[in-house]
Amino acid sequence: MSGSDTPPSRPPRVDGRRLRSERTKQLIIEAYLALAQENSPQVPTAAEIAHRAGYSVRSVFERFPDIRTLQVAATDYALVQVAALAPARDSHGDRATRIRTQVETRGQSCERWLPLWRSLVANQGDSPELKQRIVLSRERVVARLEFMYAPELATLSDVERRHLLIVLESLTDVESWARMREFFGLSFEEACLAWRQAIDRLLPPAPTT
Amino acid sequence: MIIEAYLTLLRESPQIPTAATIAERAGYSVRSVFERFPDLHALRVAATDYAFTQGTAQAVARDFSGDRLTRLKSHVETRSWICEQWLPLWRALNANQGDSSELKSRINLIRQAILKRIELMYEAELATLGATERLQTLIAIESLIDFESWARMREFSGMSIEEAREVWVKSIDRLLPPTPVS
Repeated sequence: MSGSDTPPSRPPRVDGRRLRSERTKQLIIEAYLALAQENSPQVPTAAEIAHRAGYSVRSVFERFPDIRTLQVAATDYALVQVAALAPARDSHGDRATRIRTQVETRGQSCERWLPLWRSLVANQGDSPELKQRIVLSRERVVARLEFMYAPELATLSDVERRHLLIVLESLTDVESWARMREFFGLSFEEACLAWRQAIDRLLPPAPTT
Repeated sequence: MIIEAYLTLLRESPQIPTAATIAERAGYSVRSVFERFPDLHALRVAATDYAFTQGTAQAVARDFSGDRLTRLKSHVETRSWICEQWLPLWRALNANQGDSSELKSRINLIRQAILKRIELMYEAELATLGATERLQTLIAIESLIDFESWARMREFSGMSIEEAREVWVKSIDRLLPPTPVS
């Protein structure tokens, strides 16, 4: 340290009550997500959430004025989790590697988040906040597609590129994944293979460098 | 009249209609509604059956012996028309299926009908594929022409019907193998 006259700076004071309150909020959100996942698409009741989190119903409503606010907070938390658990990999790989990686990552996300996604879509109602999160989630999928298939998409006109992204987003939708698994009875690997082949056919040839 | 009132209300608003709004729209009392249908679930099942019959009549397969482009255009035109007409009911059906085996079996029936139509329209191309590849192609086309895929093009991306159809035609064309030379 320098020998100046200025007093050493104190570490910022930790507000224990605030920390505990944040921790409670966090546990309530996690309880909501666990129940929404288990009982999708039914929205858990305040009593169920409180019971699962180990708090009183009053504690829930002290942190969230209503269930809709809790739903929005839980959706934001889940979106952060989705992004954290699905980092982009192999974006500079060859075409087959990029397709395989993108499909595997997307398949894992769909597998993990399907019940929650269904609950979100079924219960969005007239909520602009939830609708905005659904749009945001789709935009992120499109952004990932743009990133992973940048070399192929760069060969297309703006309109063709936009159209192809819409098609790829539809193809790799959560419900499209669910149909392969639930309706057609495909294994995870078989479902990935179906997407890989379809994406490969839909993408234009990669430019030769 | 009650079924038609239910379907009209669904087209007007994504909210699931109540017995009172259905009765009011049909011009009957709530009691009359429940005299014909023991509960709203029974009305939903009846409305789905009615819509399925209507949809089947409206979506008669045409041009299935035509050349590739004719078949693509005909299939997409019919399918998009169905999506445009029946999307609100499809959404309500999915939202209300819950644990209802009757509604789940209708959803399966509709999906089977969509798959059968794809098989009929692209029989020539699909016949050139092995069983696994054929199934993968069917799955990809079925995903592509799903109700919600149409809704995204129209509602989320703001495309016209013509533009959205063009996207489907081009994409199915890419997903299909070459047409065998006869």
